[in-house]
Amino acid sequence: MALVPSDGPGGASLAAGQHVAAPATLPPHAALAGGAEGPGTGRLAHMARRGGPRATGTLRKGEGLFGWLFISPALVILVLFVVLPIFLALYVSFTNWSGLTPPLSSSVKLVGLANYRTLLTQPGIYQSNFAESIRNVFYYVLFTVPLQTVGALGLAVLVNNKFLKARAFFRGAFYLPSVTSSIAVTVIFMYLFQGAGVVNSILHVFGWQQTPNWVYDQRGLFTLILSALGINNPGWGNHLVMGLPAWQWLAGPSLGMCVMIIMVSWTTAGTFMLFFLAALQQINEDLDEATEIDGATSWQKFRRVTVPLLRPTLVLVVTLGFISTWQVFDQSYLLGPANPTSITPAYFAYQVSFQDSAFGMGAAVAFLLFALIVVLTLLQRKFVKEDLTK
Amino acid sequence: MKRTKVITGVAATAVMAATMSPGTAMAAGTPLVGKTHGVTLNFMIASSGPAETNADKAAAVAWGKQTGNKVNVINASNLQLQLTEAFAGGSPPDIFYAETPMFENMVKQGQLLLAGNAVYPAKDFYPSLVKEYTYNGQFYAVPKDSSTLAIEINVADWKAAGLTNADLPTTWAKLSADAKALTKNGVTGLVVSPTLDRIGAFFKEAGGGYMNAAGTKFTFNSPQNLTAMKYVQGLAKQGYLKFSSQVGAGWGGEAFGTGKAAMTIEGNWIIGAMQTDYPKIQYQVVPMPVGPGGHHGTLVFTNAWGIAAGSKHTAAAVSFAKYLASPAQQLRFANAFGVMPSRPAVAQEWAAEHVKQVVASGNQYPNVSAFVQGDAYAMPQVATIGFPTVQANFDNAIVGLSNGTSNPAQMLSQLQTYANALLHP
Repeated sequence: MALVPSDGPGGASLAAGQHVAAPATLPPHAALAGGAEGPGTGRLAHMARRGGPRATGTLRKGEGLFGWLFISPALVILVLFVVLPIFLALYVSFTNWSGLTPPLSSSVKLVGLANYRTLLTQPGIYQSNFAESIRNVFYYVLFTVPLQTVGALGLAVLVNNKFLKARAFFRGAFYLPSVTSSIAVTVIFMYLFQGAGVVNSILHVFGWQQTPNWVYDQRGLFTLILSALGINNPGWGNHLVMGLPAWQWLAGPSLGMCVMIIMVSWTTAGTFMLFFLAALQQINEDLDEATEIDGATSWQKFRRVTVPLLRPTLVLVVTLGFISTWQVFDQSYLLGPANPTSITPAYFAYQVSFQDSAFGMGAAVAFLLFALIVVLTLLQRKFVKEDLTK
Repeated sequence: MKRTKVITGVAATAVMAATMSPGTAMAAGTPLVGKTHGVTLNFMIASSGPAETNADKAAAVAWGKQTGNKVNVINASNLQLQLTEAFAGGSPPDIFYAETPMFENMVKQGQLLLAGNAVYPAKDFYPSLVKEYTYNGQFYAVPKDSSTLAIEINVADWKAAGLTNADLPTTWAKLSADAKALTKNGVTGLVVSPTLDRIGAFFKEAGGGYMNAAGTKFTFNSPQNLTAMKYVQGLAKQGYLKFSSQVGAGWGGEAFGTGKAAMTIEGNWIIGAMQTDYPKIQYQVVPMPVGPGGHHGTLVFTNAWGIAAGSKHTAAAVSFAKYLASPAQQLRFANAFGVMPSRPAVAQEWAAEHVKQVVASGNQYPNVSAFVQGDAYAMPQVATIGFPTVQANFDNAIVGLSNGTSNPAQMLSQLQTYANALLHP
């Protein structure tokens, strides 16, 4: 980043000295131009502004053809490697393809909706496993999206603080998890949360002796809380919904899944922090000062000025968060074999395809997940509006 | 993005496959094709480690020199995935490790050459292994090795508890007593991995099992199996038996090696793990106990060499398989990475040789002949397509036996229902 060298010790102390005076005496433009409060801040915001206006032009006649010509290489690749495979996968989801012959060969039989029926309506292991994977990912999304969004916003506000020393270091440190391999992070978390791992050792120091075996623990968070309050499965909890008892649907994320939620929130908060940071730096200093002069507390300023101005970014982060959490795979690939409550539909599709050689059903799982994501993203777009006026 | 990754992941394989030549799968029993010299074979393996990879490479070079051929050894990091891709793409390796979960599917799709008897007659191998690679009465793949379960005992713990040779766990009652006596000072008497692949041995000892003799029906919900489950649950409830995940270990061998367990139930792969990871622990290996009806029982795990029906060099591949499964080469493999030979005579020789080496190094333990002994009465794994998922469902409930959240009868009847659904979809 460009701002790293200018944040040296000398520069920092100078800047800090000017900070005290800047808000009150200097007009905001002067502060920006002088770069007194860290040149990077101004430059980033400036760059963001310059990229802002969209380059939309009107097409003259004949240019359409060239347009198509120019995008054709990308289009061919897209059709060949994304669109066609998706349609082929859709076809496979209606077959009993075993994966050992070409999918269009004569040994592959069309089975109609049988794969979908097995997953959705026919009592059996696939129905209950599929239901369980949906249950798992539902709680995963429910907890991860708010945690990572709030975490990212918090971190962004922290590292945007002009009075924070070694800002560049903290920005780097918080962003680091997102550029680390998710497999590596997962393996390390598995060690941390082992039965005799670091986390439990720390808990022992604080006097909690009956520590759970986190990664392997299949007990749901809600069930644990309820049973601590003396509420246990009433009779109706045994009623099967899609092959899974109602009580299990309501169990909440298992302790194993909680590890995954904590881990992913920790890694992605850094990624989304960058989004918020860019947006924060676009907020005009005038507004901040005006609110201060009006006598707003810093919480009021944050709640009434900063957050509304961040709304478009907030919607973007939440939408991206939803889409990426619904299809989580890597973490489930490592944690799933140890604990079925951390199996997600994406990993379940892989498992069914490659472990049971039922590629038709695997493709069906992928399309059901796809449908679920589309429906829920549309709903989310409907309820969380991007525009500033509520 | 990951959503497209899943869909296209399944589909990319499909497109790749669809655009390539249509399947050239041959009918089983087709005469061998291709030359027997000047040929390059592709040999796909799933190695357990550098020792196995090097042994396979050395064998490939030796056979190549002998016959004037070449072999590319491809070590798959995920065999099932890579084999599936190769078959779907119409260019399978000529010869490969034909693992149990894939074997039946490959036969059903006509992708596996009927090679068993073409390489060596079935009588040369342990019957349980031949059975594993026989489908519809036809012997398809060449048994590569065998691994059986036995009980490993920490010698220091055993002596400290005042136990003697007369107390060795030869029966269920003695195993219970030993586990009880050995459970103290934070050490658990018996720690096993929570899977059917361990406690299934008790099914056989109780006179039960996975399938009927003909291999046509599942028999999971038999009263004998229930007796076995109740025996295991009894030990678990008293705390004399714990599952590896309960003591923070990844598998029984880890719990045993780190001193959390005085006894464990593992296969002969534990020999190598103990040598590399826990060389200081002295341990003895004894056969699995006999059950209430006097039945012997253990489980056998195996692998095989399969030859692709679509290979253009089946004649050379069969010749290579002959070399790999020859008695001399089997002994070399066993010495290199600790798997047991699939031929009874060679297995005995290996065990005797191993014991001799142990004695020569000034030790008394371990005596690995218990593993070889088990081959005579071992029960093979279920090879039915889709069984891994059914078994995972059962395995996940095993830990719950300790605190009573899992009910043995219910677990067995669910296992039976789900497994039956695989046979009669």
